[in-house]
Amino acid sequence: MSRYYLAWAKDEDVREKGANGGFVTATLVSALETGFIDVALVVKKKSVYEGIPILTSNPEEVKECAGSLHGTPINLTKYVVDYAAEKRVGLPAKPCDARGIIEQAKRRQVNLDNIFMIGLNCGGTVHPLRMREMAADFYGLDPDSVVKEEIKEGKIVLISKEDEGKEQENWMKIDELEQKGYGRRDACKLCVTKIPTSADLACGNWGSNDTKKTFVEVLTAKGEAIFKNAMDSGYVEIEEAPGEGIEKRKKVEAGMQKLAESWKEKLDEISKLSRSGRFEFYVDALKNCIHCGACKEVCPVCPCEANAKCLDMNDEKDSYVVSMYNMLRIFHLMDSCIHCGECEDVCPVDIPLTLIQRRFSERMQRRLGYTPGMDVREKPPLYETELRWSAEEE
Amino acid sequence: MGKRLAENKWEPKILAFCCNWCSYAGADAAGMERRQVPPTIRVIRVMCSGRIDPAFVLMALLEGADAVLVTGCHIGDCHYVNANNKTRNRYEFLKEFVDELGLEPERLWLRWISASEGFLFAEMVREVTEKVKEIGPSPLRREWKK
Repeated sequence: MSRYYLAWAKDEDVREKGANGGFVTATLVSALETGFIDVALVVKKKSVYEGIPILTSNPEEVKECAGSLHGTPINLTKYVVDYAAEKRVGLPAKPCDARGIIEQAKRRQVNLDNIFMIGLNCGGTVHPLRMREMAADFYGLDPDSVVKEEIKEGKIVLISKEDEGKEQENWMKIDELEQKGYGRRDACKLCVTKIPTSADLACGNWGSNDTKKTFVEVLTAKGEAIFKNAMDSGYVEIEEAPGEGIEKRKKVEAGMQKLAESWKEKLDEISKLSRSGRFEFYVDALKNCIHCGACKEVCPVCPCEANAKCLDMNDEKDSYVVSMYNMLRIFHLMDSCIHCGECEDVCPVDIPLTLIQRRFSERMQRRLGYTPGMDVREKPPLYETELRWSAEEE
Repeated sequence: MGKRLAENKWEPKILAFCCNWCSYAGADAAGMERRQVPPTIRVIRVMCSGRIDPAFVLMALLEGADAVLVTGCHIGDCHYVNANNKTRNRYEFLKEFVDELGLEPERLWLRWISASEGFLFAEMVREVTEKVKEIGPSPLRREWKK
């Protein structure tokens, strides 16, 4: 069995509704109907700006969730851990979902044999608030009237109820918007994991020669099993991927990674500061923290429950310069942060956590030569007994 | 003490974690040998340096220690097989953390001291005190309003 395919759903409705041929939806539906998985974890669209993760065994409900949502930056890891750890579950997984689940598996929170991750190539997501601002500021739309959102030829397309079906002149390139401070989330701008190589399948339109065909890469034996299941039960049709498609996909990925590298300097305001300036920055940013624990709750890496050490050792009465909660959370993520940016999204006082966590963890991970969320056999270095490098090297 | 308060002279506060089997005995030996040790040091005895959670070190810094010393048996001499290897691993994390936070690297020390190395203990405390006096009080120390 080769690794690369073009695949699409046989069902015309699903093919039409899905972003690129409905392969992901069809695979999940077939797996549910044949009993290959118990439940599917999918994100149900509520509006352009809102999606709700649902755990369902009803194939009809999965079909309703076809199509991509760019304005709902949800990480599904904690939903798997909390609600589906005992079941055979299939889910569409962005690179950060897949990496989060791998990290949880390393910490024995989930059994990876029961989780089928249908990976999605991901160029990034947009924060719903930024999306609303873009609709109002650049497209002259009432944010609530927007009914459709997509990313087409590098442009963010927002369509209101009245304009449905019409081409618009004022659609803007993502690049342009990002130069003005809008566009994707900071975490996504900086992300270099665009293809979920730690998932079971990697699907997307990169490298596909038809907008209604999905380019699929089979990554694991589990991925092969769910792919075969969908094929045998007659839900998807496939063809060999053309050679130029594989090249094209690689090129798109490399281009994205290059763009991410160029963002690194622009978004890192701390690198210009001196040592004491850096200290001031961190103290200033973290002093607003109200210790609600929301960033810990959504963190796809953190396996702790309500009695987590960071919350347990924190006491408001201490009135430390930097609270124990922040110190411990940053410390514990130094080797394992996957830079998904969920913490910043949920922070009620808007602490720039994407930047802070990245500053701390990136240098440590570079030194360790360790990338979290990629290989389930690699133990998190903080739990190791031996150093990952020999002491004589330094 | 009263005189020092009146002059408002700052003396560094250094917290040392010493393992029961080697470095605490080493500190003891320094006393037995009548070596001069600066009074800047406060010792906490732990059963093993592997018992030192990084959270302890961070909390010590937050509570106002100007420097934290982590000491244990030499690698290979650990009373609990290999627990001081874990200390060494965690120390590397702490070192990066302290550096990134914007504290001087001299605020954190790791030394291996055996039970017979009283002279090393005294020397180390002198060295640390000197270095910390150079860099001044920790910015993490809270300043109470008068």
